[in-house]
Amino acid sequence: MSISLEKVTKRFGVTFGVEDVTTLIPSGSLTAILGPSGAGKSTLLRLIGGLVTPDAGRILIDDDDVTFLDPRHRNIGFCFQNYAPFRHMTVAKNVAYGLKVRHRPRAEIADRVAEMLELVRLSDFASRYPAQLSGGEMQRMALARALAIAPRVLLLDEPFGALDAQVRAELRTWIKELHDRIHVTTVLVTHDQNEAMEVADSLIVLNEGRVEQAGSPTDLYDHPASEFVLQFLGPSTTIDGVALRPHDLVIVPTGEGTPATVTEISTLGFEIRIAILLGSGETAWIQQSRAEFDAQPVTIGQSIGITRRDATVSPVGTRLDPRGAADRAPDSAAALTQPTTP
Amino acid sequence: MGGALGVASGSALLMSYLSLIVLIPIAAIAARGLGVTVHTNGWGMAVWHWSASSDFSGFWSNVTQSDSAHAIWLSLWLSLSVAAVNAVFGVVIAMVLVRDSFAGKRLLEGVIDLPFALPTIVAGVVFVYLYGGSSPVHVNLIGTWMGLLVALLFVTLPFSVRAVQPVLESLDSNAEDASRSLGAGGFRTFASVVLPSLLPAILTGFGLAFARAVGEFGSITLIAGGQQTTTTASNLIFNLFAGQNYTRAAAVSVALLVLSLLLLASIGVTSSRIQRRLSL
Repeated sequence: MSISLEKVTKRFGVTFGVEDVTTLIPSGSLTAILGPSGAGKSTLLRLIGGLVTPDAGRILIDDDDVTFLDPRHRNIGFCFQNYAPFRHMTVAKNVAYGLKVRHRPRAEIADRVAEMLELVRLSDFASRYPAQLSGGEMQRMALARALAIAPRVLLLDEPFGALDAQVRAELRTWIKELHDRIHVTTVLVTHDQNEAMEVADSLIVLNEGRVEQAGSPTDLYDHPASEFVLQFLGPSTTIDGVALRPHDLVIVPTGEGTPATVTEISTLGFEIRIAILLGSGETAWIQQSRAEFDAQPVTIGQSIGITRRDATVSPVGTRLDPRGAADRAPDSAAALTQPTTP
Repeated sequence: MGGALGVASGSALLMSYLSLIVLIPIAAIAARGLGVTVHTNGWGMAVWHWSASSDFSGFWSNVTQSDSAHAIWLSLWLSLSVAAVNAVFGVVIAMVLVRDSFAGKRLLEGVIDLPFALPTIVAGVVFVYLYGGSSPVHVNLIGTWMGLLVALLFVTLPFSVRAVQPVLESLDSNAEDASRSLGAGGFRTFASVVLPSLLPAILTGFGLAFARAVGEFGSITLIAGGQQTTTTASNLIFNLFAGQNYTRAAAVSVALLVLSLLLLASIGVTSSRIQRRLSL
């Protein structure tokens, strides 16, 4: 089921609101709403879930206008950041809740609960209470509870937020696999761009309540519609006022490109970061792989020239339609140097 | 424990204080009720002495005399009813205070604590004026159990509200949102999600209100109207004491004490059992 937001606005005072959001979440996609804290990500999710009603605009699930539909009638699976377990119920009762509310026959509920617990690998935990579960287990219980009602759409608010690094990584892979298996349109909120890029097949970048850009992760990474998106979605550095990716900078002999001096070299495993001082007095940095560095090593204090790689990545273009799909910005801002082939 | 004072001296202090304030008086009344006299010998040691009447049957006949039994029974069922009624209204009032915002909410907060602040005998006078023979609303509850009930509802209300309110405030509103998104309506969500989370607090409020009602004297002694049928245990104890019937007064006290303790203990056990499941 696709989700369509049309000029949706919800104001709360200073932050957390959303402003004139128009976007389409494709059916069957795994979409991440990404942005810094206070950008209105959770609000957008709650608007879709019906836990918040918009001040203006329309929300459609497929062709069904749900803007003012009570959440109980939306048939949406919502997983909360704190998992919101029903603490007085066992895991099985938690999962059964939505079905009991729907007055399904007892045998059907039992079967469905067993199926869901199997799916989230919590079959052995059926008679435990939430307080006896770890964070990751509670997250999976919340997922089973949301999925039990066969929702039209699955909404996940910061699903990896409160977990430690290893569990996060596991759960990330697992959610991706789960999505591949059940294909329910899934929207998740995160502030971690790596997580979003890894898990999602479609991104919506929010900033101060507005959609900065939406599209596929590679699309947004390679063709950021604004400096904000460029900086938010990956490493960035600024040369002559133009923000670009530090791995798109190439070292050339002195005399070519922009003159610079190497000030620092740090090795982070496979990655090398070269800090440079530009003639203008600005600092910037170059990101290289170990192999690139070894093929053309530099030393601290060395004078070099830098130029922009014949980019697969266009620098920041003008702000375009929020889906960003129509735009493959020509290098309007490629004022740095003429691209040269290495 | 074990902070500023250290565990050993801290617990010694606690025990001394508890003994002085709580345990010794209770032991004394228990001894008196059972007909045991205690005095100290020349060495400062306690000497227990069973008097001629100090057998359990003496105690038993003291508390099962018809007026004693009636008074104890009246105190118990009135207190249980009052605690139950206020458990319901306590939740309702706490819900309104926590969830709604309206003009005069601060004022209402204060009004709920009024029974805490008011000397109970003043409340008693107020009720006699309001529901007495010259009642301005033409309701005469003097000498009726209804009169006692109204007075007890008044003095126990703050316990029921204040026990539930902080728990309701700290309740995870996401759980309610989860319930709604799973298809439950407002009533279903309240009954299946909110109420079970409040249960330990409701039981605590119930216990506090019950304990308060059992011990209440000031606010009901006037409206009871000196009738035998509306003499509660606390009233009877006062009457017996005034008539210098000290042993029976103590016996009734002990019976009331034991029954109340049993009830409070079972409430406590139930409440902590639920609480453990909720938070572990």
